[in-house]
Amino acid sequence: MSSFSAPSTGRRRNLYAPPPCPHLADYRSNAHGLAKPFRSLQPCLRVRPLGRPEIRREPQEIPRCSPCSAADGGGCGMGPRLYACLACAAVCCPAHAPSHAEECRPGHEIAVDVDRAELFCCACGDQVYDREFDKAVVLAQIAAAAANASASCSLPESLRKRRRVDYRPWTPDPREWATMRRESSPLLLPDASDPYSAGAANTSTSSPSSPPWGLRGLNNLGNTCFMNSVLQALLHTPPLRNYFLSDRHNRFVCQQKRRRKKDGSGGSMGGDRRNPSGGLPVCLACDLDAIYSGVFSGDRTPYSPAKFLYRWWQYASKLASYEQQDAHEFFISMLDGIHENVEQDQHKPQSQGNGDCCIAHRVFSGVLRSDVTCTICGFTSTTYDPCLDISLDLDSNQNYTNVPTTKSHACNGENDLILSSQICGVSTLMGCLERFTRPERLDSDQKFFCQHCKVRQESLKQMSIRKLPLVTGFHIKRFAHSSIKKMSRKVDRYLQFPFSLDMAPYLSSSILRSRFGNRIFAFDGDDSDAAIDLASEFELFAVITHSGTIEAGHYVTYLRLSNQWYKCDDAWITHVSENIVRDSQAYMLFYVQKTLYYEASEDVSAS
Amino acid sequence: MSASNDGNSSPRSQLASRCFEDLLDSIIVDVASECHRIARLGLDRNLEEEEEELRLSVQARVADPSSSTEANSKNVVDIFGLTHPAIADEIFECMNCGRPIVAGRFAPHLEKCMGKGRKARKVTRSSTIARTRHSRGSPVSVYAPYSNATNSNRAPNGTTGGSGEEYADYPYGVP
Repeated sequence: MSSFSAPSTGRRRNLYAPPPCPHLADYRSNAHGLAKPFRSLQPCLRVRPLGRPEIRREPQEIPRCSPCSAADGGGCGMGPRLYACLACAAVCCPAHAPSHAEECRPGHEIAVDVDRAELFCCACGDQVYDREFDKAVVLAQIAAAAANASASCSLPESLRKRRRVDYRPWTPDPREWATMRRESSPLLLPDASDPYSAGAANTSTSSPSSPPWGLRGLNNLGNTCFMNSVLQALLHTPPLRNYFLSDRHNRFVCQQKRRRKKDGSGGSMGGDRRNPSGGLPVCLACDLDAIYSGVFSGDRTPYSPAKFLYRWWQYASKLASYEQQDAHEFFISMLDGIHENVEQDQHKPQSQGNGDCCIAHRVFSGVLRSDVTCTICGFTSTTYDPCLDISLDLDSNQNYTNVPTTKSHACNGENDLILSSQICGVSTLMGCLERFTRPERLDSDQKFFCQHCKVRQESLKQMSIRKLPLVTGFHIKRFAHSSIKKMSRKVDRYLQFPFSLDMAPYLSSSILRSRFGNRIFAFDGDDSDAAIDLASEFELFAVITHSGTIEAGHYVTYLRLSNQWYKCDDAWITHVSENIVRDSQAYMLFYVQKTLYYEASEDVSAS
Repeated sequence: MSASNDGNSSPRSQLASRCFEDLLDSIIVDVASECHRIARLGLDRNLEEEEEELRLSVQARVADPSSSTEANSKNVVDIFGLTHPAIADEIFECMNCGRPIVAGRFAPHLEKCMGKGRKARKVTRSSTIARTRHSRGSPVSVYAPYSNATNSNRAPNGTTGGSGEEYADYPYGVP
């Protein structure tokens, strides 16, 4: 780790230290004959629970500026900042610090802000950063927390990293080639202008003039737009699409297996949820496979997902606790349905975090981390939970974005002033995510039992994302249900969402680092692989919008294929501009990881 | 803060003002120090992209303020050059009862056919008792949207039909 790229390329971001100023470099190399720089500071690092690390020679010391006796800055009007010289421990306020450095140089330029534990170069007049120093500070903070016996639960086994392997492209051997030629025939790509034509065989990728593969309308079977919209998004979810188009779940093979199993268990099993009329157990993955075949067949007339609806109702009749089905509920129900079938078949472990159980979890399952911290002693309790998507609250109040307005002043005046005034007051996806990962003070009626204090204390809760799924789905909570008024209302507020999204600031590693003051330190749980920085970049590929009211509303999906946007409104597929998508009222958003990585398989047979 | 400029200049209020100023300065320096660290360490590397996305969104909303495109999309020709009726008119067999059903009416039919909806239960009570013994559906209807929004006696587009089952009224076409 001797050289580091500039921050903008994002390499090894968690350990990046800017190049030191000459004075800091001098201090480090000389270190006044000490074995380690900053060693004199270490015993002076004081950490209070939930507080910042401070520099105090004695625990109750009140530092004062030697020349002017200002304590926390009163007399000189320079504000409450005090710097302790690293060389001689002389304490100065900002007014006197430069003269101290000047008089005593060389060697007395570097000082430390006693209240913030930040290094300051009095000669350069700027805050400076050093990895060794930060490490000392973080270790002091961790030691202080450990004194409270904070027992964060260890990472579940399912999350332990498997080593990464290089992608090996598959090429068929001669026998496989022969099989492919014998058992398959090329799909006929119909003429774009005449969907009913037989068309010519097209072995290359579709030409720019003809619509992309897999684009096909879905007939509305009677208020089933909630199902159609989710199906369109799933049909074009890249890892899911690749899985089914690679025949990884062949419905004919699966049906045979189910039949054999049923016969083997001695005839009709009577009625149960998966087997309502004593027939074959329902397999939603098979029914989804059938839809993939239909939609990617090249036929452009709208497809009726009737059989899928039938199967899903057979599966979901147990979900009668929901009065109304909405698109998000259908999405979750469908993924659960795919999961349940696989689970029953292969007795895979329930653990969904690493997605080994089924394709639905492999694609959509992530892991959320929840930290609850006692405000009195700082004891933190950590839990991990799998999630299929992230539900975000949409503030009905003004939600200001965190775009700093300082930047706009630097650019061409008027345009940016107008821009920033328009920006304020707009809800954004990143704003929602920031709120989602913000430390939240729990209500006093939700006091958390602190294992250290042994009583219920007020606490802070903070969520973060421990593991990102391949495809991150966001659900915007637009339907507010009031149990008091016994009615629901829809929040129509516009939500801005980006086409490219970097999830890094919401990861557990980032949240944890910010909790420790963004120090340069390799925290526990940080993936050491440099490439992980790229793994947090996502691209939008599907937007499900809802228009209208709760009682009478309509779902529509916008799909991004080859960077073109298509509106899928039941049976009607139209090409739309980017602007229309940006302007739409998002209800569900689907982002896919830009770069995929492969982990060594744990399954010995799959090589 | 120009607290020293207000009328009251007693030592006590001066002290209080200075105290407040110190607190305020402390907070400002806190934020400055934290932002300085974030900027220097490159932890805000995506600021440019974020601002660009916001700018594009603002542009998009200005360019297309109305959602009129949503309203009349049903009358257009789609990218395959096809038009479609408001109610899908493809006909296929119901996989539960075998009858030929119009696609656009399939869901309400299936609801009654499978004995799911509340209305279905009331109408054909005796015939669904046997079926509900096997299924685990609870009395609360999952399919309320259908029974609320589409009265089984009326098509969604407002035309009236007979009070009998729907496929008897709309055998092979949309009224």
